[in-house]
Amino acid sequence: MTTEGSRAQYLASGATEGGESHERLDLIRDVLSADATWAEPPPQVADGLLAALAVEAVPGPGMNHERSGRWALVLAGAGGLVAIAALVLGTMNVIQDEGDNVVAMSGTELEAAALGEAEFGPNEAGWWIRLDVTGLPPAPEGSYYEGWVWSDEGEGVSIGTFHLRGEDMPIVLWSGVPLADYPSIWVTLESEDDGPEASELIVMKGRIPQVPEA
Amino acid sequence: MDREVLERFRLGDEAAVKVVYDRFGGPVFALSMSILGDHGLAADATQQTFIKAWRAASTYDAGRSFGPWIYAIARRTAIDLYRKRARVVVSDDVDVVSLPIGLETVWEVFEVRSALDRLPDEERQVIKMSHFDGLTHVEIADRLDIPVGTVKSRSHRAHQRLIEMLKHVEEA
Repeated sequence: MTTEGSRAQYLASGATEGGESHERLDLIRDVLSADATWAEPPPQVADGLLAALAVEAVPGPGMNHERSGRWALVLAGAGGLVAIAALVLGTMNVIQDEGDNVVAMSGTELEAAALGEAEFGPNEAGWWIRLDVTGLPPAPEGSYYEGWVWSDEGEGVSIGTFHLRGEDMPIVLWSGVPLADYPSIWVTLESEDDGPEASELIVMKGRIPQVPEA
Repeated sequence: MDREVLERFRLGDEAAVKVVYDRFGGPVFALSMSILGDHGLAADATQQTFIKAWRAASTYDAGRSFGPWIYAIARRTAIDLYRKRARVVVSDDVDVVSLPIGLETVWEVFEVRSALDRLPDEERQVIKMSHFDGLTHVEIADRLDIPVGTVKSRSHRAHQRLIEMLKHVEEA
């Protein structure tokens, strides 16, 4: 709507009766008639935010444990989070509902363009986890990516390494620990010169809301 | 916004995150819509904004105004999404991608929406019906089944409140 059109409509509406200042309202008239100004976020945004922050809060390498503790309480106390996470699945790109055994993986601020999925399932050796991601660049020479499963208590177990310097998608990783106890799936960037501990360079995260029976 | 809430937000408290979202979710979504023009993308941008704010909360000075701080995060997030999308669709050269609206307007959308969300519901409704739906006071009175005089008084109060709340936008 044009400013002149808005002004005419505004005056016709009688809104100036009472002495409001035309000059001040002129500044915002177009904004008041814009679609964007009145657009309401879908309720799933709030639900998704809580679910995403719950994933963020799982303690791991380099995490603020004061904050993690608060969110661990949130996770423990809010049984609805699983339902919340499920609500998010249908609407947010961050998490997608494509099957009981598929969870979304999203890039952290280190690799914000990375997106993908982790499919998982049990076998006689433990659990297989297949990563299919886009937007994650090849690991630089001398470094590699490492997959981890993490418990809510902050214990991490490596599930394998990869570098993405070739046509190596999807990547199949393996877990010998139950995913019900280690429901968070992370990918870190590691240096070949460092030890076996997880680095603080977490590039992707995902979380299994409810692990089916093996 | 209450300083204690902001301090708890800074520490990652869930209830505080909810309070902050309830207060700023609308303005952040409106800002995102003004840049992205798409509900799905704006929803993503809104969620990303609050996640980034939460990640960066330890750097927030609770003694300063929260609005401009989260506005800066929201604007940057929406612009990044817009450029990524435009780069895919239009060009590999990010520098040639220009925003659909000016940053001054983006700021006005954020501030106006913030002010609207602080109006009493009945006043906000009259403002919306008048400016957005394009109804006259008589038509609003008819729709709401209330006297025209009531519509006028609500409209008057609402506009006065908006003018007062948005003084700093005029002065900026």
